[in-house]
Order: sequence, then structure tokens, then C-alpha cells
Amino acid sequence: MSELPQRQTDIGPPHYSKFLPPVIKENYGKWKYHEILSAGVMVHVAESGAKIWSVRVASPRLVSTDFIRDICEIADKYCDGHLRFTTRHNVEFLVSDESKVEPLVNELKEKGYMIGGIGDRISNVVHTQGWVHCHSAATDASGLVKALMDELHEYFHTKELPAKVRLAVACCVNMCGAVHCSDIALVGVHKTPPRIEHDKVKNLCEIPSTVASCPTSAISPDPAKKSVKIKLEKCMYCGNCYSVCPAMPIADPKNDGVAIVVGGKVSNLRSNPMFSKLAVPWLPNNPPRWPEVVDAVKTILNAYIEGARKHERLGEWVERIGWEKFFKVTGLPFKMQHIDDFTFARETWRMAATFKW
Amino acid sequence: MSQKHETPLLDELEKGAFPSFVKEIKRAAEHSEYAQDLLGQLELSYKEKVTHWKHGGIVGVRGYGAGVIGRYSDVPDKFPGVAHFHTVRVNQPAGFFYTTDALREICDIWDKYGSRLTNMHGSTGDIILLGTKTENLEPVFAELSSRGWDLGGSGSAVRTPSCCVGPARCEWSCYDTLELTYQITQRFQDELHRPMFPYKFKFKMAGCAVDCIASIARADMSIIGTWKGNIQIDQEEVRNYAKNGMDIQAEIVDMCPTGCMSWDGNELKINDEDCNRCMHCIAKMTKALRQGEEKGATILLGSKAPIVTGALMSWVIVPFIKLEPPYEELFDLVERIWEFWDEHGKNRERVGELIERMGFPVFLKETGLEPHPAMVKEPRRDPFFFWSEEDIEK
Amino acid sequence: MEKEELKKIIYELVEKSMGKKKLKQSDILKKVSKDHGVDKQEVKAALRELLDSGQLIFTYFGGSYVEIPPKE
Repeated sequence: MSELPQRQTDIGPPHYSKFLPPVIKENYGKWKYHEILSAGVMVHVAESGAKIWSVRVASPRLVSTDFIRDICEIADKYCDGHLRFTTRHNVEFLVSDESKVEPLVNELKEKGYMIGGIGDRISNVVHTQGWVHCHSAATDASGLVKALMDELHEYFHTKELPAKVRLAVACCVNMCGAVHCSDIALVGVHKTPPRIEHDKVKNLCEIPSTVASCPTSAISPDPAKKSVKIKLEKCMYCGNCYSVCPAMPIADPKNDGVAIVVGGKVSNLRSNPMFSKLAVPWLPNNPPRWPEVVDAVKTILNAYIEGARKHERLGEWVERIGWEKFFKVTGLPFKMQHIDDFTFARETWRMAATFKW
Repeated sequence: MSQKHETPLLDELEKGAFPSFVKEIKRAAEHSEYAQDLLGQLELSYKEKVTHWKHGGIVGVRGYGAGVIGRYSDVPDKFPGVAHFHTVRVNQPAGFFYTTDALREICDIWDKYGSRLTNMHGSTGDIILLGTKTENLEPVFAELSSRGWDLGGSGSAVRTPSCCVGPARCEWSCYDTLELTYQITQRFQDELHRPMFPYKFKFKMAGCAVDCIASIARADMSIIGTWKGNIQIDQEEVRNYAKNGMDIQAEIVDMCPTGCMSWDGNELKINDEDCNRCMHCIAKMTKALRQGEEKGATILLGSKAPIVTGALMSWVIVPFIKLEPPYEELFDLVERIWEFWDEHGKNRERVGELIERMGFPVFLKETGLEPHPAMVKEPRRDPFFFWSEEDIEK
Repeated sequence: MEKEELKKIIYELVEKSMGKKKLKQSDILKKVSKDHGVDKQEVKAALRELLDSGQLIFTYFGGSYVEIPPKE
């Protein structure tokens, strides 16, 4: 192997200014307004009158270096070699010459890129690694996203919604990504307690930290076995013990599945940021297309489109009509699992005599 | 090279309109043994409905305790190409801007030493180089760092800070999110690369209350831009919005959460005293309304996902701070917060959970922050509060 | 205290707790600084040398710890 270059430590990332297009450098912090020109094109106008066009395309997020080289080639042709990614993993081509916008859009369409995601639409789905790379995944993430977006893609590139709908997928309750504050989110869940591999516990795990990891105090030491034991009725299947003790696997192919939570948002527009709340406690893991999950999401989305006022996010719509109405209009069954019995439970119980029939 | 494993279930996900990750893995597999066996193992997961990755592991680059996620297959005999499949987290440039040359440089390194698969980007913001073997980690790091790239955070460390597009391409950014992200990252390189905390610590910089980086939901410290002073109105542009079909009464005035606006068909009035700066009107009438002139940020602390005592959103600890280089006031505050956490935090306890356990007043006292009504939605309901020595008459 | 001596103290502390309790970096800084009356920054500098030379490594199991590398 050829000689390696000298490594450096603690240099941090390159300074962003190295990568900014000239028009951005010149107008940094001096933008005046922007306009959305189509589902995937917007223009920002500076105080100086200078303009930059952004053309946004969908990405599966898990991309090959070939994909990156392809978009680089396009950015060289139309954007003087400048592009960026959004916080939701879309690709944005940054064009400073108006005459290049249309040819860029045409070439992207020709090559099969999906242009869109701007405005009151569904943007790229924020998601986690799933079975592609995670040890604690209760479901796949990329596959769920693909199955979902194949059905909902019109809301990415064409159709408008009452407001933005942020979708997210987390493959377990660790919820890497902002799943707990998304309009509609899918979460991989377990339904059965971890199994204790007693012979491995003594080598792989620290008993005190394993005991301490349990949020419901279901785990206690088992000195006879030099291991731990679980009070099964107390276990809520969070898998936190497995994170600190690999000898307590919790994956269970027959019982792992997908929960749907809805109504979260992070922006402060109109209403305060909101957590997502449970809509469907469990649906089966049914790869490769998870039809039950996709159907339930479509049901929720359609009810929202039907009932929401313009600019109302999904959570705002539900707050206005009431959760009791949400279950009525979506037809989703309300189950025992919907009633909170964990940390913040009491705040969620109805302490009033007012509700809708 | 031709495909090594049959993948009937994954093949199904090559169909359909949305861009396919399976297609991407297959493209990488044309030149990569890793990607070949990733396809095989993933197909097995699809068949058996279970993950085939083993837990944890001890890998990294010399001297660092962060930036590499160890991953091993639990079926290495079937899929030797992914027996090791470690992830390298590369710290992204603030705002996710690139030149094509920079991206190609990373691709070249990854084609040589890794799976040819990436996430652009990971949830926290890093460039994720997905899958290589242990002996390639040092070479990848040498190639990257000699060209000016460094690793991001993982484990009980500062996680790679990230931000919205900020003043680079947004008129609403109330402070320079990119520069602050860069400066925080540089200032805390040691804390980022050599885990020294009870658990992870995330910074996210959002230029305004729209919070495109989701800082309030997923950063231990959420820095959200805001302003003081009156919203600036261009009445002519307001009338243009009305002319072009916007129902200003219904879409703007009636949706204002504080009811501080009125519209008589000709002039929009805002009672700025009552405005809570939610950004709805500004976001919907980008040409007509602009934020007040005194810009700064609100600092919020403590958000996290539900593991393990339930999800938290960040709450206000500093109602307003001017954020300009060299940011010393902010850095001092961060260090005081970390001292508090280091002193009292249990293993795997996030700073938000610690403050919940010990009490917000204790946190304020120990970090020297003054109580302010903006920190709470409402004062306490119960009569059980503490006094200190100096409040007691002897 | 001489840095080499400090390094020895740190190494022995990690060695002794292996298999009993995983130590985090801050556990080491706190303990050595308290037991030997040395400033935390000094302990940190000594620990840094042990990590840079590979005598000690960071490990991860649901949290980050400092341990002696496994023998191949």
C-alpha cells in the first residue's frame, strides 16, 4: 500500500466559507425575501438585488458515491460546482444565473430526479439506519420510507397540502432524528421483554449499570446466577438495558412492529412546538412494502387534507377538532395503549367536562 | 462485478417513483464486496424481520473516543464482506454547503477504503461513511485529516454541532448560525473527540423560530434566533399580497396566536407589545414583513428523545442574548452547565433529565442564571418551595 | 507530580477496575485529582498521553469508557 499522509487531530471541519457560491458570499446576511416558484424551485433576493435560485431534489439519503459524483457533474454544469444538502437530506442545486435554471430542471427531469419538497408539501423523510446498519433496530427505516414515499410522492413534487407535513421514521424508540416532534412518524417498537443470556451476562455486562438502566425498575440482580432478573410485568420493552448489556437481546421477529405517532411540530409558527402523540400502537412488520403501515398513514393524511384549514399543521388541526374527533374521522381504533401511564401521564388525562361527541 | 446474492424482497424496493436506496446499494455493489454482502445480509433481515448487526464494539482511531461507530455482522460466515462494517462520521461543513471538488475528494477516499456507501447526512448532521473494516480506519482518518476533514462526535461526547442554512441563504436568520456552529465546533474539539460527559451533548443552531434544524426537539442546547423591536411592515407589499389573492384576515390576522394584528383592507396594523415573535405572519408574507432590528437569540436547554424517562423539549434558560464573535459569554455559560452536569449527572443521564431530577432552581443557582418569567409557562401551583439561609430571620 | 508518575497511577486505576466497573474519563479525572491532590487539567494531560500512545483506549457500551485495549 502506498504511504499514508500525515494524520492531524482536532482540526475540526473545514470553514464553510470555502464552499459558498460567490453570490452567497457577497450577500451573506443581506437577503431580503424569497419566493417559491414551483414545488422544487425557489429564488432568494438580496438587498442588492442579487438573486440565487435553489432547485431541490429528493434523495434516499443512503446514497452511493456514484450518486454523489452524478450530482457533482450536474452542479459543475449549471452551478459552477456549488451545491448543498438540506437539514432533511434533500439535495439543493444553487444557481446564480437565471438562464441556467430551466435547462437544469430539464436535465434533472430527464435523468429521473424527483424535483420538489418546497412549500406546503412533504419534504424528504428524516429517518434512521434500520436493518441497514443498526443493532437495536426493531424495523427497517429506509424500506419504510421508500414504501411510504412511493405512495405519497405526488405530495413531494406536485400536490399541495394545507401546510407542511413532516414525516419521520425511527427504527426503535431511541428515535435518532426528530421523530417525536413530526407531523406523522413511524417508530419501530417491541412488544416483548428482553431475554437474558445468563452465561454471557457475567462477561459482557456490569450488573449495577444494567440494573440502573431500567426506567421502571424491572431489573434486579440475580446473585445466584451472577446475572440479573426481570420482573416481566414491569417491563415496557424500551430496550435501554440492551444498550448497556448486549446479553439482553430484545428483538423478536414475530412481535416487533411499527407504531404511528402524529401531530408534532418543531416550529413556533402560530402554536408552540408540540410532541407527536400515539395514533396507532402497533402494526406488523411486513417488508418489503409494509402495506398496513402505509395504509394507516394514508388514512391519517387524507383525514388531515379533508379537515384542516389552510396553514394548519396536522397537530394544530387535531388540537382544534379534538383527539376524540381525530379517532372518529380517521376510524382508527382507540385502545388501552393510547392512555398514558408513564412519566407525563397525568398531564394528558382530561381534567374537564368538555369534549365532543 | 455481478450480484453475489439473490435479493427478491429488496428488488421490490427498486420499483416505484421515489428514489431507491436499494438501487444505491446495488450501484455500490458493482465495485464493492462490502455492498455485495450488505445486500445479502439486508435481504436476510427482510426475510427474517430482524436485524443482523451485533452490539457495540471497540474501534476508533488512535487517541479519539468518538467519530467511529463499531459494527459487526452476527452472520459473518455468510457475509464476510460485512463482518466488520464500521461507520465513520465526518464533521460536515456548517450549513451543508459543498463544492463538487470537496465532495469528490471524500468520494475518492471512500471508494478506496470503504463500502462506497454514505448517508448525506446522518440525523445529527455528519457526513456518514457507511461501512469499512477495522484496519482501514487509520488510513481513512489519515487521508481525511491530511486534507482538512475531521471526525464528528459519538458516545458520551459533544455531538457534531449543526445548523440551518442561516444568513447564507435566508432572510430570517437572527444571528450567524454557520459561524457560531463553526466556532462552537472548534472551541470544543477535545470534548467532541474525547468523551468526558455522563452522556451525549448536542448543540443545534436555528436562525429563527421556524427552527428548520429541529433544535428544540433534539439538541441539549437549542439556540434559536429572535429579535426585539417592532416588525417592519411594507404596506404596499401587504396590499400586493391581498391583490394576488391572499385572504389577509383569515390567513394572517385570524391565525396570529396573540391577536395582535388588524387589517382594514388597506393597512396592516401590529401591536408589537403583544407579539410573541412566532414568525407566522413573516413566514407567510416574506416580501411585506421583516423582523425587528435588534437581533439575537434565545437559549433553551434540555431536549431529548424518549429514551428513557420520556421525551423532553428544550426550555428557556436565557431569554435573549446577543450572539457575535467571539461568543465568550455563551462559551462561559456552556462550561458552567457542563460543570453542573459533571458534578451531579449519573451515567447516561442527559442534562435535561438531570435538571428535572434536581430541580430547575438548583440549576439556575449553580450556573448563576437569574430567574425570569420567560423561563416558565406559569409559576408553580404547589406551596412547597425552598428558602436558603439568607432568607431566614435568625 | 511528575507526568510519568501520574500516568502510572491512572493506568493502574483503570487496570484495577477492569471487569468490575467501567470508568468514564470524568471518573478518572475526579478520582485521581481527589486522591492525589492534583489539578484535573494535569490528570487530563497525562491521560491524554496514555490515549494518544494507545496504552489506554476509549470504548463504547451505551456510554463511553476508558479501558485497556484487548490483547489480540
